[in-house]
Amino acid sequence: MGQNPYMPQIATIVETFDETPDIKTFRVVLQDEAAMRAFHFEPGQVAQLSVFGTGESTFVINSPPTRMDYLQFTVMRVGELTHRLHTLKEGDPVGLRGPLGNHFDYESMKGRDIVFIGGGVGMAPLRTLLLFMLDNRADYGSITLIYGGRTPEHLCYKEELAEWSARGDMRVELTVDNADKNWRHRTGVVPAVLTDLNMSAQNAVAITCGPPIMIRFTIQALAQLGFTDEQIVTTLERRMKCGVGLCGRCNIGDKFVCVDGPVFTQAQLKGLPQEF
Amino acid sequence: MVARFIKDDAVAALATAWARDYRLLAPVREGQAVVYRPWARDMHPFLGRPPTASAKQALLPQTENLLSYTYRKDHTDLTKTEVFLAEPVPPEPTVVLGCRPCDARGRKLLDRVFLERGVADPLYAAKRAATLFVTVACERLENTCFCHWTGGGPTSEEGSDVLLFAVAEGYAARAITPAGEKLLATLPEAPTPVSEELAARLAAPVEPGPAPDLRAAPERFLALFDDMDFWMDQSARCLSCGVCTYLCPTCSCFNITDEDRGLAGKRLRTWDTCMSALYTLEGSGHNPRVSRAMRLRNRVGHKFCYHPQEFPNAPENQPEVSCTGCGRCIKSCPVSVDIRRIVLDILEKGDK
Repeated sequence: MGQNPYMPQIATIVETFDETPDIKTFRVVLQDEAAMRAFHFEPGQVAQLSVFGTGESTFVINSPPTRMDYLQFTVMRVGELTHRLHTLKEGDPVGLRGPLGNHFDYESMKGRDIVFIGGGVGMAPLRTLLLFMLDNRADYGSITLIYGGRTPEHLCYKEELAEWSARGDMRVELTVDNADKNWRHRTGVVPAVLTDLNMSAQNAVAITCGPPIMIRFTIQALAQLGFTDEQIVTTLERRMKCGVGLCGRCNIGDKFVCVDGPVFTQAQLKGLPQEF
Repeated sequence: MVARFIKDDAVAALATAWARDYRLLAPVREGQAVVYRPWARDMHPFLGRPPTASAKQALLPQTENLLSYTYRKDHTDLTKTEVFLAEPVPPEPTVVLGCRPCDARGRKLLDRVFLERGVADPLYAAKRAATLFVTVACERLENTCFCHWTGGGPTSEEGSDVLLFAVAEGYAARAITPAGEKLLATLPEAPTPVSEELAARLAAPVEPGPAPDLRAAPERFLALFDDMDFWMDQSARCLSCGVCTYLCPTCSCFNITDEDRGLAGKRLRTWDTCMSALYTLEGSGHNPRVSRAMRLRNRVGHKFCYHPQEFPNAPENQPEVSCTGCGRCIKSCPVSVDIRRIVLDILEKGDK
């Protein structure tokens, strides 16, 4: 038989930490050192993580290909597999299948101003591209991150958010729906912040990921700011099983989110049957 | 090509001979149904009407193993665990006896998904290479049959290795492929009366009647995509039971689940159905196909719009649809949903 596309590689969890009360970050390394050295992926690509006996689920690789000490995944505890993943500790083995899917077209973004707009765990794919761009900083114009969560404790990557704010070569705007007394940033939903900031669409590209309702209103706000459909990039979430375009469930019309996505421009999404 | 002759009372003996070299799946009567079973002594193959389930189970079994896993605990340090994976067992050479031309044509459409779409599925490819289809040509169309809408026909050879024609006192057998020729090697040549009967049948095939022009189907489906009144109407009776997809020779959607037995287990592939709400239900609770109307729309859309878009024919030709017109989804539907009616309504109402 040829290469079995359902056969994961075995990886070891080298580090885990809590991001929020229900979100954990995992850093994993393939047990086969040669395979780890040969592991090549692009920002925005995903992988399937397995806990054998429970199943497999799809997560974006949120460490950039420019930092290959480990592969990082951020997992919200919502279903059977993610509950099981959250019980794992450093040293435990997991299955890893990937990289899968398409990626952010960072070549076409060179020389342009970048606006990242994230909500909750939707920060994960943005983190990959943001770090990739920071590692190739001269290739891009201004970089702005607008990131929101329900409350201050629901924001992921808190230490990095502070580091990014302090860098001086990018702008970070944080917002929460419900602030606490220590909160020194904005309050309000992400699309409102975007409108408030009056971000220029001139030579810009906006990349957004978050809950479906946030994405919907963010796209409306971007359109009002003059962003065209080609200037708006998002990543879609669907239930997936095989990850290689065969099992059927992630189709939108004749496209499969697992191979034709997860990254789409708003122009591409408008050309598909509206079923997502 | 020379035809061979199998006398009625020699079918079981032939099956027994094949079963020595192959895993043989043969149709047998069980209650009202005709189902494929692995060959066993004293079995009576029943070739009199199309089997209730399609022959796709030979290539895409209802359940199959994708991999096996074993955990090993380190007894000196119980915090340490290792996991080992193993490939599934390669398939045995298989003969499927008694499928119909619509089943055999289903192979081509499964090939599209599992071999031609992108990643070639090696489990499917291995079964495909190891499986022979011995098909019974149809003498007539049942009232649920519509193979002629989809490019097939009662004597279509596409996808078959051997084609059997019912004649007086038995079957005239024609090998379609070299592998099929090998299966027939021990049989006597058909005597002259049988050859003449076969020649007469081939010269005057069953006339299946008119078929609709499906060239506009993809475009008209998309024109109706957002017309939820149309889809609510079409799906009003649907129970989301999924029998249409399980019996379909071309439906290929599958689920992947783990079967855990302590420290070892298997990762299994099983048939899934886009008629189920669980099929697209996400962990967050979001479901892009939350209603029966949306799910029925996906089933019809995949077969008559998305598949032709993915594997286009020249625009002047009829589209390749992901349906062989076997009619099982119509015959076995508990509430008489008829995909032919839906397609005709799409052609009519999508033309605005």
